[in-house]
Amino acid sequence: MFDTVLIANRGEIALRVVRTCRDMGITSVVVHSGVDADSAAVRAADRRINIGPADPRRSYLYAPAVIEAARLTGAQAVHPGYGFLSEDPDFATICAENGLVFVGPAADVMARLGDKSTARRMMADAGLPVVPGSREPVGTADEAAEVARRIGYPLIVKAVAGGGGRGMAVVRDAGALLPTFRATRASAQAAFGDNRVYLEQYLHGARHIEIQVLADGHGNVVHLGERDCSVQRRHQKLIEESPAPELPAGLADRLAGHAVAGCRAAGYRGAGTFEFLVRGDEAAFIEVNSRIQVEHPVTEMVTGIDIVREQLRIAAGEPLGFDQDRVRRRGASVECRINAEDPARDFAPCPGTLTAFHAPGGPFVRVDTHAFPGAQARPEYDSLLAKVVTWGQDRDQALARMRRALGELRVEGPGVHTTAGLLADVLDDPDFRAGRHDTTLLDRRAAS
Amino acid sequence: MTGADHQGPAATLAALHAALDRVLRDAPRPPTHVVVRSGGESIELTWSAAVAPPPAPEAAPPAPVEAEQPAASDGHLVRAPLVGTFYVAPEPGAPPFVAVGDLVEAGQQVAIIEAMKLMNPIEADRAGRVTAVLLKNGEGVGYDEPLFELDCDGQG
Repeated sequence: MFDTVLIANRGEIALRVVRTCRDMGITSVVVHSGVDADSAAVRAADRRINIGPADPRRSYLYAPAVIEAARLTGAQAVHPGYGFLSEDPDFATICAENGLVFVGPAADVMARLGDKSTARRMMADAGLPVVPGSREPVGTADEAAEVARRIGYPLIVKAVAGGGGRGMAVVRDAGALLPTFRATRASAQAAFGDNRVYLEQYLHGARHIEIQVLADGHGNVVHLGERDCSVQRRHQKLIEESPAPELPAGLADRLAGHAVAGCRAAGYRGAGTFEFLVRGDEAAFIEVNSRIQVEHPVTEMVTGIDIVREQLRIAAGEPLGFDQDRVRRRGASVECRINAEDPARDFAPCPGTLTAFHAPGGPFVRVDTHAFPGAQARPEYDSLLAKVVTWGQDRDQALARMRRALGELRVEGPGVHTTAGLLADVLDDPDFRAGRHDTTLLDRRAAS
Repeated sequence: MTGADHQGPAATLAALHAALDRVLRDAPRPPTHVVVRSGGESIELTWSAAVAPPPAPEAAPPAPVEAEQPAASDGHLVRAPLVGTFYVAPEPGAPPFVAVGDLVEAGQQVAIIEAMKLMNPIEADRAGRVTAVLLKNGEGVGYDEPLFELDCDGQG
C-alpha cells in the first residue's frame, strides 16, 4: 500500500479521501489554490501545498503543478476525486510518466470511455442495450437530418467529450434540429476543445439508474448494486438513493449484469459507474463514469464497503478482498445534495460567505461537507456545499430520517440560498414518495 | 589591500580602520576573515567562495511546503509564481544570484524554480535591497510562497 497519497481536488470529496487515508494509515497531501488555503480538506490533511491561484485552470486543472506537488511531497499516488482532472486520460498518462499511480482506470481505457460515442459503440458490441442513435459522431447537417429521420423526435444532441449532464441539448422537432446541432457543436468546442457530437433518441420520462462497479485488474469484477438518481435539474442530480424503488422485477439484476459485462469488455480497473436510462421494463446504456461519484455514499451505506478504500487498494495492485456473494446490501439510503444555488432563480449559483452552518446529526445520518461557519462558497468552483445522507431499514425510514436531518440543517449567509428547502418539498411529493417519479419530476414541479 | 602614506603608527592604524569601515559598509555580507596590520599598512578581508547560507531572518522562516501565511513584514515579498524546487544559484557550487544586502533591479533574476524538469528563472518584481532570503537552496516551494524580502524604500 502507498504511504503517501496526493489528493488533486477540493471541497467535500478532498476531505472524504483524506478521511479514508487516515483510516488506512496513509499520509494525505491536499493540493489547494490560494483561496482554499483554509479549507476543511486542507485543515484535515497531513500535508498541504499551494499549487496556484483561484482560477482552476491554473491550479486544480493544471497538471504540471499537481505533478510537481506530488514529487515534492513524495506521494506515490494521485487520487483525482471527481471533476477536474479525474477523467482526463492525458493527466493519467502524465502521472505514469512521472512514476505516479493514478487512482483510476488505465489512460487508454479512460480515453475510450470518455469518448461517449466510442463508449456507446463498445458497449453495444458487448451486448448492452443502447438508446437508438448514431453509431459514429455526426459531422454535417445532412447526416444529422438523416439520423433524425431514422430515430425520430424528441432526440438529444450530445457532445462526444461531454458527460455528467454537460454538453447536451434536447431537440423537440425537425425545425429545431439544425440550430441546436450547430449550437451544441459550438459550445462543445468551447467547453471541451472537441466539437464532435452524436445523436440519440431522447427518452422522455425515463428514470436514471446506475450501477456501481469495482474491478481489480486481476479479473475480479463485482457490482455494488444500483442507485436511482432521477431527481435532477438540467441533467444534474439532486437526490440519489439505493436501492432504486419500484423497479420491475429482475431489472436491477439485469443492469448489474450489463455493467459487469461492460467492465470486462472495456478492460476496466477501479471504481466506476455504468449509467442507464430506464422506462418501464426497457433500459439503455448511456455512459460510464470512470471515477468516484458524488453519490457514492448511498452505496457505502447499504453495502458497508468504503469505496475510496477499495479504489486505493486496487490502485496499489491488490486484488479485491471479496467476491460478489460477499456483497450484501442492507436497508435503504438516500442522499440530498445541498448546493449553494437559488432554486427560485433557475438554480443560479449564489456564492458568498457562510455566516452560519450547522450540519444535522443523530442516528443514521451521515454528512459529507467542507462547509463551516465563515467558509466561503466560491464562484470559481462548483456549488456543492454538503451531502446529507441517511440510512433506514427501508426507504420510508430513510426518508423520514432525511426529513429530520434537513430540518436540522442550517446554512446562512448574505445572498446565499440552497437547494435544501426544495429538496425537503420533494421528499413530500406524492410521486417521489411512491417511487414512481422520473427525471422530469423537478421540471413538472417547477411548471405547476 | 594596502595603501596609506608613511606616517606615524597611530595615524596609519586610524587610516586602516577608516578604510576597513568603508569597505565593510559596501560589502554584500560580513567577511569570514579580517587581518589588519600596521607595520607595512595592510588590511586583508576574506569572503568564503562557497555559498554561505543566508542569515536566518528574524521572523520564523516558512516551512518548505506546509507554509502558513507569512508573518507580517515591512518589506516587499518576492513570491513564487509556481510550485517547484527553489534554487539560489544557476548551478550547484556557483555563487547565488543575490544575497542579503544586494541591490536588485526590477526584472533581475534572483532565483530559479525547477518544475517538471524545467528551470524557470525567477525575477524580482520590484527594485530594492535584499533583506532576507526566506528559503534554503533546494527547498520545495508552493505557489505564492515568499522567497525574498526586499527593502524598497527609495528604490521605487
